[in-house]
Amino acid sequence: MIYFFDGSKDAFLTAFLLAYRDQNAVLTAGNRQLVLGQESVFVSADHERARRCERRFTELDARCMHDLSLLLRSGEDGRGQIALNYFRKIAERGRPVRGEMAEDAVREASECIRRVTLEAHRLKGFVRFMESASGALYAPLAPDNDVCDLLIPHFRARLGNIPFVLHDVRRGKAAVWDGTHAFKAPLTEAEILLSADEDKWQALWRQYYASVNIPSRKRIRQMKGYMPVRYWKFMPENPSAAAGDLPMQRAAPPAEQDGALHPHGSSRPLPPPPGR
Amino acid sequence: MIARETLRILTESAKYDVSCSSSGSGRKNTGGIGNGMPDGCCHSFTPDGRCVSLLKILMSNDCVFDCKYCMSRRSFGTPRASATPEEICELTVDFYKRNYIEGLFLSSAVHISPDHTMEQLVRTVKLLRTKYQFHGYVHLKGIPRADPLLVTEAAKYADRMSYNMELPSEKSLKLLAPQKDKESLFVPMKQLQRERTIFRGEKRRGFFLPAGQTTQMIVGASPERDGQILRLTQSLYRAVGLKRVYYSSYTPVVDDPLLPSAQSPALREHRLYQADWLLRFYGFDVAELVPEDEDLPLDVDPKCAWALRNLQYFPVEVNRAPLEMLLRVPGIGGKSAQKILSARRYTSLTFEHLRKMRVVLRRARHFITAGGKFCGEKNLLSVRGLLAAAEQPEQPQQLSLFDTPAARSALTGEL
Repeated sequence: MIYFFDGSKDAFLTAFLLAYRDQNAVLTAGNRQLVLGQESVFVSADHERARRCERRFTELDARCMHDLSLLLRSGEDGRGQIALNYFRKIAERGRPVRGEMAEDAVREASECIRRVTLEAHRLKGFVRFMESASGALYAPLAPDNDVCDLLIPHFRARLGNIPFVLHDVRRGKAAVWDGTHAFKAPLTEAEILLSADEDKWQALWRQYYASVNIPSRKRIRQMKGYMPVRYWKFMPENPSAAAGDLPMQRAAPPAEQDGALHPHGSSRPLPPPPGR
Repeated sequence: MIARETLRILTESAKYDVSCSSSGSGRKNTGGIGNGMPDGCCHSFTPDGRCVSLLKILMSNDCVFDCKYCMSRRSFGTPRASATPEEICELTVDFYKRNYIEGLFLSSAVHISPDHTMEQLVRTVKLLRTKYQFHGYVHLKGIPRADPLLVTEAAKYADRMSYNMELPSEKSLKLLAPQKDKESLFVPMKQLQRERTIFRGEKRRGFFLPAGQTTQMIVGASPERDGQILRLTQSLYRAVGLKRVYYSSYTPVVDDPLLPSAQSPALREHRLYQADWLLRFYGFDVAELVPEDEDLPLDVDPKCAWALRNLQYFPVEVNRAPLEMLLRVPGIGGKSAQKILSARRYTSLTFEHLRKMRVVLRRARHFITAGGKFCGEKNLLSVRGLLAAAEQPEQPQQLSLFDTPAARSALTGEL
């Protein structure tokens, strides 16, 4: 039996209650080719049953709901199945199984969680803000996993009362700190009126990035290993040009249109979220 | 706003300093901007494979010293520039706000006099902390022979300070950096260490170098052996309480008859760092790693070399060995050791388990048993060769249609 769920916690827990005795169960939040002769069911969240299930699991392992929230943020199609196997193991043992790294289910869950937290950790460094005319900061990003709002506490602590928006252009949503509240909101396209000096600071940053490099030591593989290419897109220092992957593409001087500037000084709006 | 050309000159003169870490400070944001991230944070990587964590910049590259290896030395015709404290502060805050950097790494050539230079550095970091309310990471370079009071003042505002040894012996210092000597470096280092211990003991509010001190040594510019360098390193960790010692492969930037003309090999630097890690995190003593008048072997890493000299301890059983022994197995690092400790509480581990847990067995298999089973090479004599071969991963190369002379002549029409 294939169980489809919408990726939310409650839907997962509801589906878990249906699926955990079925050894051939496949639990998925992604699109999956239906196999002829295989039954499938779409599970929608039953909040009451989900609460009961959550309470029981929390008794068995106080930290497992935190694990679940990280697993469900994963962008991998297999996340439902990985979570199912992991929670099955907890139910089977009746206690936390976190340390049992020799078990496939535990190891897969732990590796999946690690990929999510690793990306959140990397983005703490790789996010690039632009300053808008109002002083608020805006950063577009396209993470593999749904981690935008995990970054809010980090930036909130360091930016103090400066409002900021972390825009996940891939999922079409944003994590926002408005100076007093943190919240999530759907957001597909954003048009930002940049502050007067934004381009000058970006130019200084490009200068710095170019000057701090030691050209006689070329270790592009190492560079890409530490900073995977998929994060380069929103970086004003333009690492791909520096690495020699592309001809130098300097952002053209910002074209002013009705006083509104698009981010990166280009006249094209941000890419719409690709269909997932 | 700082001029672009000034930024270029001051960055290019600062970039050979290898220290880049932003770890060790838990400074909180108390009404302003910035905080410390105890594990540090890398914000970008340059094509030379190094990370950009801090805004690494000199206040001035106009130097009265004449150290042979340095491109800012007095007798070298390089363009000179200086920045004002205000310019540096503004740059730091605006870069930080955009999440380009984790903080500031401020150094300077000795401009006019050591006291004048140190005063400028202190003024800048003070301004940054007070007027600009910046609580992010600040690494300040100490200027040798500056007034001890200025040094203390600097430590109240900076997260980390460093005096660069540059050369691992007094003799080489005399030869290549005539205005520096061991005393001018060790005295302020020890002063800071003493004051930091007192400050911590008093449990007062505020900070005094929360991330401690570091230093840097150039490797390959002078004749010292690895054994000597690592002994100095160990004494710096144990006696002066340094957090890190950085090694920098000598890169020729200036011609001088006293200096080698070739770049020192990167592999030697790598081996020194490996040995440094063994000293700090794996419970090794320098005497176990290398004799004083020898270099580390280049063909295998220092832990492998130690294991091959001490085969009487091996193989160890992964299901029973204590953590200290697991950490001494070549190829098993801190993370793998922790995974093994955690997993073996529930089940008896086999090689299959280890492989799935992503414990790297390429080197380790010669030194461990799992459930009594041994998977390594039985002939001990050939282990070293295997390990050395495993060090150099084959670099697969795309075959090119146009690489043969015939193909090239076909392209160019030249015979």
